[in-house]
Amino acid sequence: MSKDETKRRILGPLIPGLTSLAKKGPSGWMIIIGTIVVLALVIMTVVGPWATPHDPVRYHGPIRTPPSTQFPMGTNHLGQDMLSRILCGGSIMLQVSALSVLVCFLIGVPLGLFSSYVGGIFDSTISLVIDAIYAFPGLVIAIAVSAMLGTGVVNMALSIAVVYIPSYFRIVRSQVLTIKELTYLEAARAAGARWHTILIRYIFPNVIPSITVVASINFADAVLTAAGLTFIGLGVAIDIPDWGWDLTSGRALITSGAWWVIAFPGLMIILLALGFTLIGDGLSELLNPKLQR
Amino acid sequence: MEKVELAIAVLVLIGIIVSSGTMYYAATVMGNLSTLMSDVSDLKGALEEKLAAIEASLIVGTTDSVELTLDPAQAYDYFGWCILQQIGSLLVSVKPGSLTGTDYVPELAESWNSSTDLKIWDFSLRQGVVFPDGTIFNATHAKYSLDRAIALIPSIPEGAPAGLEFDKIINKTEVLGTYKVRFYLNFPFSPFLGILSCRASAIVDPKYAPIAQVNHTAGNARASTPVAFVGPYVLSKWDRVAGRDMEIRLDANPNYWNLASGYPRIKHITFRFYSDATSLRLAIGAGDVDMAFRHITPTDVLDLQTSPNVKVWWGTGVQIQYLCFQEKRAPFNNTKVRVAVAAAIDRKSVCETVFLGLSKPLYSIIPVGMLGHTEAFKKLGDANYTVTRSLLADLGYSETNKLKFDLWYESSGHYPMSAEQALFYEEALEASGVIQVTLKNADWASFKKNRDNEIMDAFVYGWYPDYVDPDDYSFLYWAKWLHLNYNNATQTALYDQARATTNLTLRAQLYAQIDNIAVEQCSVVPIHVSTAWAITKPTVYGIYLDVTMDMRYWLISK
Amino acid sequence: MGLRSYIITRILLTIPTLLLLLSMVFVIMRILPGDPVALHFEKKADPETMEAMRRVLGLDKPLWEQYISYLWGIVDVWYFLDHGYPNLGKSMQTFEEVGGQIFSAFPATLELAIYSMIIASVMGILLGVTSSKSYNSFLDHLIRGSGIVTYAIPVFFLGIVFQLVFGVYLGWLPTGQRIDPNISPPATITGLYTIDSLLEGNFSKFLESLKALILPSLTLGIILSGIFVRLTRTNMLETLRLDFVTAAKARGLKESTVTYAYALRNAFLPILTMMGLQFAMLLSGAILTETTFSWPGLGRYMYQRISFRDYTAIQGAVVMFGLFVTLVSLVVDILYAYFDPRIRL
Repeated sequence: MSKDETKRRILGPLIPGLTSLAKKGPSGWMIIIGTIVVLALVIMTVVGPWATPHDPVRYHGPIRTPPSTQFPMGTNHLGQDMLSRILCGGSIMLQVSALSVLVCFLIGVPLGLFSSYVGGIFDSTISLVIDAIYAFPGLVIAIAVSAMLGTGVVNMALSIAVVYIPSYFRIVRSQVLTIKELTYLEAARAAGARWHTILIRYIFPNVIPSITVVASINFADAVLTAAGLTFIGLGVAIDIPDWGWDLTSGRALITSGAWWVIAFPGLMIILLALGFTLIGDGLSELLNPKLQR
Repeated sequence: MEKVELAIAVLVLIGIIVSSGTMYYAATVMGNLSTLMSDVSDLKGALEEKLAAIEASLIVGTTDSVELTLDPAQAYDYFGWCILQQIGSLLVSVKPGSLTGTDYVPELAESWNSSTDLKIWDFSLRQGVVFPDGTIFNATHAKYSLDRAIALIPSIPEGAPAGLEFDKIINKTEVLGTYKVRFYLNFPFSPFLGILSCRASAIVDPKYAPIAQVNHTAGNARASTPVAFVGPYVLSKWDRVAGRDMEIRLDANPNYWNLASGYPRIKHITFRFYSDATSLRLAIGAGDVDMAFRHITPTDVLDLQTSPNVKVWWGTGVQIQYLCFQEKRAPFNNTKVRVAVAAAIDRKSVCETVFLGLSKPLYSIIPVGMLGHTEAFKKLGDANYTVTRSLLADLGYSETNKLKFDLWYESSGHYPMSAEQALFYEEALEASGVIQVTLKNADWASFKKNRDNEIMDAFVYGWYPDYVDPDDYSFLYWAKWLHLNYNNATQTALYDQARATTNLTLRAQLYAQIDNIAVEQCSVVPIHVSTAWAITKPTVYGIYLDVTMDMRYWLISK
Repeated sequence: MGLRSYIITRILLTIPTLLLLLSMVFVIMRILPGDPVALHFEKKADPETMEAMRRVLGLDKPLWEQYISYLWGIVDVWYFLDHGYPNLGKSMQTFEEVGGQIFSAFPATLELAIYSMIIASVMGILLGVTSSKSYNSFLDHLIRGSGIVTYAIPVFFLGIVFQLVFGVYLGWLPTGQRIDPNISPPATITGLYTIDSLLEGNFSKFLESLKALILPSLTLGIILSGIFVRLTRTNMLETLRLDFVTAAKARGLKESTVTYAYALRNAFLPILTMMGLQFAMLLSGAILTETTFSWPGLGRYMYQRISFRDYTAIQGAVVMFGLFVTLVSLVVDILYAYFDPRIRL
C-alpha cells in the first residue's frame, strides 16, 4: 500500500502537469520551448567542436572583420572566427551551471529536509548559519571563493553553488514545515515508519516541484553569474572558448564599431538563461495548485 | 526789398531750426549709438574674459586615481606622482622630450657637481624662489625635505623613500651655505640625480610637513599639501569618494619659480576620473574632456586616429613585459631548457596582433633608446624553432615526449591584454612541436602570492621604472623579489661597477655585458616594451610623451 | 506561539546571525590567498619591511585581538557619534577610515537601488496586472515573454547597449558618473543627490543628477522588472479567480476599482516581500552596473577592495550589507508570520 501511496504522491502533482502539457496550454508551451532551446544549445555545444569551420582558438584570420560569407559572425580582435567560438563556447557555461545546480541540490536539499524535519535547536542553528551566508552579498562570496580556490570550471561552479545553497535550503525548509504536521504523516509515524522513510517516501516527493522550479532559476542565475565572474577576470584560461570571455573582450571593441564580438555571445547567453527560465516558469505555473481551475 | 529780406530771414530761420533739430536728433542718435557701442564693447570684454577663462582651462580624463596621499614621503603610485609633479618642484628633473633619460636639467638647483668617487654631491640652489606664505627657499629646505623623507621610512615602510632606499643611499645631508647643500652618499652612485628627480625628493615647506607626522590619512594630506610646494600649480580641489578620486583641480601658482618662462600656459586644470578605458573612450568621443591620457586601448586609439574631432599624440614607452622562469625545480632549473623556450617566443606576432603594433619587440631588459639598451636577445631570435628543437632534443624531449610546463598570467587587468599575450606565447611555444603549455590564470593578488610562494613554473611579469636610468632596469635579471632562485655574481659585480661611474660609454658597455650573460642564462626573458599615446581635442598643443612617462601639464596650451 | 513572542524571538535571533556573519567575513578574509601587506610592495621584499608594514596594518597582533577590536569597533557608539560613521578600522590599502569611505559610497548605491526599484516595480506591477487581466491573450503572452527575457540579459550587456545608444549615438544622456563634472554636487544631507538638490532648492542640479541616474537605473530596473511582472501576474491570476472578486464585479463596481483596490491589494503581500528581498539583492549585485557606469557606489568599492585584499574595507562593506539584508529578512519574516500563523512554529 505504501508503494502505491508513494506513486500517487509523486505522480499526483505531475498528472495535471502532463495533461496540460498534452493539451499544450501556455505553460506547457513554455516548458516545451524552454526544453527545446536548452537541448539545442547543449547539442550545439556537444557537436560543435566537430562542426567548426576554423579552430576557435588557434586560427587567426584578419582581425575585426564584420560578418561576411567567409566569416558569418565576423572575427574578433585576435582574428578568431566568431562562428567557431559560438559553436564551442557554451561548454564552460553549461558545465559550470550544471555542476553548481548539482552541488546545490546534493547539499542544500538533504540539509533542508533533515534540518527542518528534526527541528529544535539543531534546526535553529543550521538556519542561523544559512541565514548568515544568505546575508552575504552574492557576487562577493563568489569572488572570494574563486580567489581562494583558483580558476577553472569546478571552482567556478563551487563558488556559485555556495551563493545558492541557502535558497534551496530555505525553500525546502518552508515546504517541509508546512507539511510536517499533516495527519497522514502522523498516521505513518503511528504505524511505526522510521524518520528516513518518512522523509524520503512522503515528504521529499512533495518538495520536488518547488525544487525543480528553484533549480531552473538557479541554472539561469548560474549562467549569468559565471558571465559576471569572467567579466571580473576570474574565468577560465583564454585557450578555452567561452561565451563569457567573448562578452568581456567584446565590450572593449564596441567603441571602435565591432558590435558583432559582443552581440553573438550575448545573444547565446541570453538564450541559455532564457531556456532555463522558461522551463522554471512553466513548471511553477503548472504545479501551482491555485491556478488549476 | 522787404519781401526778399523777409524771405531770406525766414529761410535762414527755418534753416537754423531744421539744422538744429537735425543736429539735436543726430546727437541723440549718436549718443544712443555710443552708449550702445560702449555697452557692446563692455560685453565683448566680458565675453573675451570668459572665453579666455574657458580657453585657459583644460579638462583631462583619466582612469588613474591617487592611491594614498600626496605626501612625497609616502606617495609611490603613478598618479600620485603625476599630481605631485604639477604642484611640487625638485632640485633637478629630466628634460622634457628626453629619450635617453639621463639628460637632467636644473629646477630648484642651478648647478651641481660630484666628487670623483661619486660619494659627495654639491648643489647650488636657485635664489628668489618663494613659498606661498612668503618664506624664501634656501638650502635648509632642501636638507629638511630629504631628511624628512628618510626619517619617516620606519613608519612608512611602503612609501617611495623606503622603496628607493633613500636611507641606504644617503648618509647625511649638510647645509654649506644659504644656497648650497651637500649630500654624502654611502657608496658611489651615479644615478643619484635620478633619485633626486623622483617625486619622493620634492621640496616641502617645513611648516606644513612636520618631520614626525606620519601622513596615513589622505584627509591630512589634503590639508597639508596645497601650500607646501612651489610648483607650476596649486591643488585647489581634491574630492575623493571611498578611496577613488572624483575630481582634482589645479590652478596656476602665482609663486611658481619659473613664471618668467610663461608657464604654466593653461591656468586651470580639472581631472575627471573614469572607471575603465571604455568609459574614457566614450568621454573623449563625446567631447566631455579635452584630453584623455591613460588608459585608452590600442584598438580605440587607432580607431580614433581617423576621427577629425581628436588628435592623437605618440611617444616612447618604458613599460616592459618579460617572461620569468622558476629555477627551484624542473624543468627550468636546467639552463638549456630556459634558453630553448626563450628561443621559441615570437615577439613580433604578439606586438602586431595583440597590440596592433603599439608595442615594440624588446631584446634587452633596458628599453629602446635608453642608455645601455642592446639587441642581445636577437641572438636567440624569434620563433627560432631550430634552436629550440635541437636544445630540447639533447635533453631527450621530442614530439612524442614533449616538454610540459605551466605558464601563468595575471587575469584581473593589472597588465594590459595579459590574457591575449599569454595565448600567443602558448601558441608560439607549441608551434615548435616539442613543447606543451598549460595556461593558468590568477587575479593580481593571488598572482603575487603565487610568485612569492614560487609555485609558478613560468609566468609573465611587467615593470615600469621609478627613475629613468638603466640602474632601475638591469637588476631585473636577478631581482630577489621575483623569487626565481637565480643568482649571478658576475652580473651583480658589473651592475655595481656601472652605478659607480658617470662615464656613459663605460656604463653602456657594462650593461651590454650584463645583457650578454643574460642571453646565456635566460633567467628573465624581455619580450616587449610599450609605446605611449595621448588623445586631445585638435586645439590642444604641447604634449610631450617622453621616456619619463610623465605628463607635464604646465607645458600644454590650447 | 503568539505573534509578539515570535517577533521577539526573531529579533533576538538576528544577533547571533549577525555575529556569525561578521565572524565569517573575518575568517574568509584571512583565508583568502594574497596578502594585503605584500600588495604594497613591488621592489622590496625583505622580512623587516614586511614586518614593519604588518605592524602598521595591525596584522602583527594575535588573531583574537584583531577579532575583538574589529567587533568592538562596530558597536562603538561613541565613535559613531563623534565621527558620523562607525569605526570599521582603516583601509589596508589607502589608510583612510573605512567607515567614512563606506558611508560616502553607500548613498550612491542606495540612490541607484531606489530608482531602479521604482522603475522595476512600477513597470513590473503595471505590466503584470495588464497581463493577468487578459489571461492567455496575445498581450498576455507578449508581456509574460518579455518578463522572462529581460531577466535573462546580462547587466553589463544591457548597460553598454544603453550607453552606446543614448549616450554616444543620440547624445541625450550622460554615460556615467552621478552628475555632470562641471557642476558641483549638492551639499550632503542624505547623500542622495536628487533629494539633496531638492532640499537645497536647486532645481537644475536636481535635473542633472536625475539625468545621470536614468541609464543605470533603467538598466537595472528593466532587468528586475521581469521578476515583478511574473510575480504580479501569478498572484493576480490567483486573486482574480477568488470569490470575493466575482462578488465585487457582480455588485457593479468599476473594472479598475476591482482590479486595483480589491484584487491587487490582496495580491500585494508577496510582491511587497519580493520587493524587500530584491532591494537587498540590488545593493549587493550592483557591482557590474556600477563598473559599467563609473558609478561611485559600494558595489564598485567592494570589488576594488577585494582585488587589494583590503581586509578591513571588505569587512566593513559586508557588515553594512549584512546588516541591511538581515533587517530586511527580519521585516519579511515578521510580515509573513503576521499573515501565515503556521510559520511561527
